[in-house]
Amino acid sequence: MIEVKNLTKKYAGRTAVDSISFEVGKGEIVGFLGPNGAGKSTTLRMLTCFLSATDGTASVAGYDIYDDSIEVRKHVGYMPENVPLYPDMRVIEYLQFRARLKGMRAREAKRAVEEAMDICSLTERKKSIISTLSKGYKQRVGLADALVNKPELLILDEPTNGLDPNQIRQSRELIKHLGERHTILISTHILSEVEMTCGRVVIIDRGKIRASDTPQNLIRRLRRPGEIILEMKGDAGAAESGLKKIDGIEAVSSTQVYGGWSVFNLKTDPSIDVREDVFSLVQSSGWKIRELASRAASLEDAFVDLVRKTEAEEKETEETAS
Amino acid sequence: MRTFSILFQKELRSFFLSPLAWIVMALFTFLNGWLFSSMVNAMRLRVSPRSLVYNLFDSGWFWMGFFILFPLITMRLFAEERKMGTIEGLLTAPVRTSEVVLAKYLATVVVYLLIVTPVLFFFPLFQWITGEQAAFQPGALWGSVLGLSLVGMFHVAIGTLASALTANQLIAAMLTFVFVMLHYFLGFMERFGLVSGSTWSDALSYFSTIEHMHSLSEGLIDSRPIIYYLSFSVLLISITHHVLESRKWRT
Repeated sequence: MIEVKNLTKKYAGRTAVDSISFEVGKGEIVGFLGPNGAGKSTTLRMLTCFLSATDGTASVAGYDIYDDSIEVRKHVGYMPENVPLYPDMRVIEYLQFRARLKGMRAREAKRAVEEAMDICSLTERKKSIISTLSKGYKQRVGLADALVNKPELLILDEPTNGLDPNQIRQSRELIKHLGERHTILISTHILSEVEMTCGRVVIIDRGKIRASDTPQNLIRRLRRPGEIILEMKGDAGAAESGLKKIDGIEAVSSTQVYGGWSVFNLKTDPSIDVREDVFSLVQSSGWKIRELASRAASLEDAFVDLVRKTEAEEKETEETAS
Repeated sequence: MRTFSILFQKELRSFFLSPLAWIVMALFTFLNGWLFSSMVNAMRLRVSPRSLVYNLFDSGWFWMGFFILFPLITMRLFAEERKMGTIEGLLTAPVRTSEVVLAKYLATVVVYLLIVTPVLFFFPLFQWITGEQAAFQPGALWGSVLGLSLVGMFHVAIGTLASALTANQLIAAMLTFVFVMLHYFLGFMERFGLVSGSTWSDALSYFSTIEHMHSLSEGLIDSRPIIYYLSFSVLLISITHHVLESRKWRT
């Protein structure tokens, strides 16, 4: 659905997007992830023909973004960052204008707008003037606009930016639901959002692609020690030395909590699950246990790790160069 | 063509959805109504060799209103869309930039014509109410309609370009104001003694709006001003198109 090859955008004295390549297949929900200013919006703007690339090519829905820009725009539903809308128009008026602008006949547009408002739960506010709507509703109007002409591909730039937790959950559900019918490319810097909605993640940082994989694989690839939390009651000193002997546990730290309970934080080799051994140790010593849990690495850890690693690498190359 | 008409309608509607167009129309009509009646009074007190139409459009007061009218109706065209970011939605829809520019430009020309139309009705209205002998020839009136349309098209094109150059409406308005006024005063350079020599004054009179209006408001239809205003409007609008297209390539 999207094929990007060596796409580059240079601004005066700064390369916002540096020769990136990636693909998005039909039916995928892909998260485009990166810190603020990484080049996410610039890339999306090139894909939607709002900006021209300095170098490289990309095709969207089989059309070249430079040679067939009108065709590309016909096949993409785009929701820009911060959802710009005309504040003086009514919701229904605005959506009908957008549907007509995207090439629908009047009658067709009317039906499509009703449908889009229904999907985005906007029907009760259809007569409202856009400037009077809350941020959450405005976001929904933007989304309804993006999907009104049933494009094959939806490109959403930070769709949950500035929403409250409840609205974020709702829009996540909506995006998941839309993923059944559309291919979706969604940019964000909120990691939990990607973890829950996207089948694949493309991580971009300072204009370069750092990783492109499923969230699960990114976490698995992450080379960091496992972490296990144990909360128990018994001889803390004996427990500590006992735990240290278990194969696979690399470090033990403990804190006392009231009532004779201690919390142990165990750093482990990620390839070995030590929980069984820990349990046997506690059981055989006759201690009591009330928590034994492994803290899984999250996408956030993977992301932080990747971004830090590239930072360090860049510094190194700079140093060797100088 | 279909896209153009959708954009054109949207543009016209958005003019009349905001109070701005109505207020400008009311004030412009009021200002010129007052000017018209003082002109009638003046002509009653002192015999004038010229017609009422000529005198009204020769008056500096009339053009003063004009200088302010154009910035007001053109400043928001592109500047507002850029400020609010709606230009992104507009230009990522399957529309050509040329359709957007033409729709905005022509809708504003229509708004302009709607705003000046009441002034043109003053003359037949005056005749009808007073039952006086005609103070002007129909040709003078039609010539003035043509002249005002041409000048309007040109000035709206200046405003459209100014609005595409900046995201700040106030800057767009000031640019338009200055250029509309400068163009008008080109015709007065000689009168102010700023230029001398017949070559210069001949050249400048070709640009002089007031000279054009003089001949048109006497019912004299000259092809030179027609070509002048139309070709400059086309030039300015195509520059606007280039400005918007070049935004994509901005580094």
